[in-house]
Amino acid sequence: MNWLAILDFARGPFFEVALLVFIGGLAYRLMRILLLGWHFDRIKPAGSKLGGALISYLRGILIWPFIPWVRNTFSKNPVIYIAGGLFHLGLFAVIFLDAAHILAWQSLLGFGWPSLVTPIVDWLAAIAIVAMILLFINRLVNPVLKLISGPAEWLNLLFVFIPMLSGYIMAHHLFFAYEVNFSIHMLAVDILLIWIPLSRISHFMFYFFARAIHGADFGKRAVIP
Amino acid sequence: MKAGTIYDELARGGISRREFMKICGLLAGALGLTSVPPVDVNAAYDALRKPDGLVNLVAEALQTKPRLPVIWLEFQDCAGCTEALTRSHDPTLVNLVLNTIDIEYHETLFAAAGAQAEAAKEAAIKKYAGQYVLVVEGSISPGSGQIYCTIGGRGSGDLLQEAAANAFAVVATGNCATFGGLPRANPDPTGAVGVMDLVTDKPVINVPGCPAIPEVFTGTLFHLLVFGAPPELDSLKRPMPFYANTIHDRCLRRPYYEAGLFADSFDDDGARKGYCLYKLGCKGPTTYNSCATIKWMEGLSFPIQAGHPCLGCSEPNFWDGGGFYQGQSAPLLRPAAALAAGAGAVGLVLGAGMATANQAQKKRAHPTEQHKE
Repeated sequence: MNWLAILDFARGPFFEVALLVFIGGLAYRLMRILLLGWHFDRIKPAGSKLGGALISYLRGILIWPFIPWVRNTFSKNPVIYIAGGLFHLGLFAVIFLDAAHILAWQSLLGFGWPSLVTPIVDWLAAIAIVAMILLFINRLVNPVLKLISGPAEWLNLLFVFIPMLSGYIMAHHLFFAYEVNFSIHMLAVDILLIWIPLSRISHFMFYFFARAIHGADFGKRAVIP
Repeated sequence: MKAGTIYDELARGGISRREFMKICGLLAGALGLTSVPPVDVNAAYDALRKPDGLVNLVAEALQTKPRLPVIWLEFQDCAGCTEALTRSHDPTLVNLVLNTIDIEYHETLFAAAGAQAEAAKEAAIKKYAGQYVLVVEGSISPGSGQIYCTIGGRGSGDLLQEAAANAFAVVATGNCATFGGLPRANPDPTGAVGVMDLVTDKPVINVPGCPAIPEVFTGTLFHLLVFGAPPELDSLKRPMPFYANTIHDRCLRRPYYEAGLFADSFDDDGARKGYCLYKLGCKGPTTYNSCATIKWMEGLSFPIQAGHPCLGCSEPNFWDGGGFYQGQSAPLLRPAAALAAGAGAVGLVLGAGMATANQAQKKRAHPTEQHKE
């Protein structure tokens, strides 16, 4: 089998189509949610909506993740909380701070930024992969999670796990020839791009809208959430 | 031409027995002969039992076999592979091998021209039928009535088939003859193809590169001479002794890759310190060739050592496989800004349409319910 031809396909036309589906799909999802309708909020403003939104971001992204013991979520299941956190941290580092991925961003956006040194990204990636396995086991054994997990939840895990694992294997030149690993990685990434708008992985985008809206609601009422 | 064996000719040229054995050792080493291919089982077994057995195997071949007749065809090429081969300095391994072959026809090297040269080729094809190795340089244009590449008024496709019919093996040298190379690059006006796309009933050995590394080419010919059969080939018909590893796997800058130390431009501090050229578009990780081990100009250097990323010239589609200076992790195709915006707009319109349809359906289902929007 000519893996280079598969690789050219996965990096070329398939990637282009996947990216267009990703963009179009997210725009579609966003419009659907925006047009669900807005409730008319008759409360007299007691505080700043913008300020509320900013505080919401600050707490959600910069504060709570680093002092998790204050929250119930942590004390009830610390391993899973940490696994979830480290998974997201690893994913962020790999996607946005890895040298190879910055080259991809540079070709898409026209500009790049400095990368984190490879060994650190590498460790974060490995930790994220282990964290994903822990989260998978948790989903398997936790009765409540098991009850609310449909096929989409398992596919979410799978479609994120394959690009992570294949990327790690590729970066370390393990098992197969580089172009084979590269092809698997790119095919998995393309599938993930198509899958994201169809799935709850789209929370990477809606998370920011949700925090802004809830933050604004609280801010308007001058309540610190 | 075929008066005696190769050894006879070397001896006549003043090569002593001692020097001859050194040459054999050098050739065996250069071929990377760690094992004997299953050609002549008894000879191989005997050779392996003896110390220096492989050298003896080479020596025996040179002492018993006449020079290998070669017919060399050039089609849509730049003669660069020939140039690389003939400009190797003397005395080299390449020269030694060139002494052991007998080039019957070669457009660039021939003194003769026109009908004379064509007649010599026809005579050689008849005389050495089933014995000669056909070397092809340059891509072939078999379509469009073969108008794009003609020699002596005949199309490249016909010329190849005619010469290949009587050949003992066909060696395609350079990326053009193997995978279509530069002539096949988009938009490929001539419909260029490589030898293996046309010759299916003979052993075809691909020696890609732009140009092919002279030692790799001669090593392949030498293997044919010694063992009378092609070396072990990979899925793209490339000899495994030379194409088993990637450039990346044998690269002298590999430790910098592992450490994540990259040159960001051709004249930054990283470039001066010899850091990895991955970010500058190096195709080493997916390129199989011997540049990093055999190197060029008698082992002097190779592109990456000299500070230039690998272009991937021994792989199919290398000309269209992404920009030479574009990092390999970057996508080959990306939607234009307008197309991406179009996809976003389509998504928004579809989303709005679907939302409106849903609301209308909801109103139809519950006509009495008032909407507090």
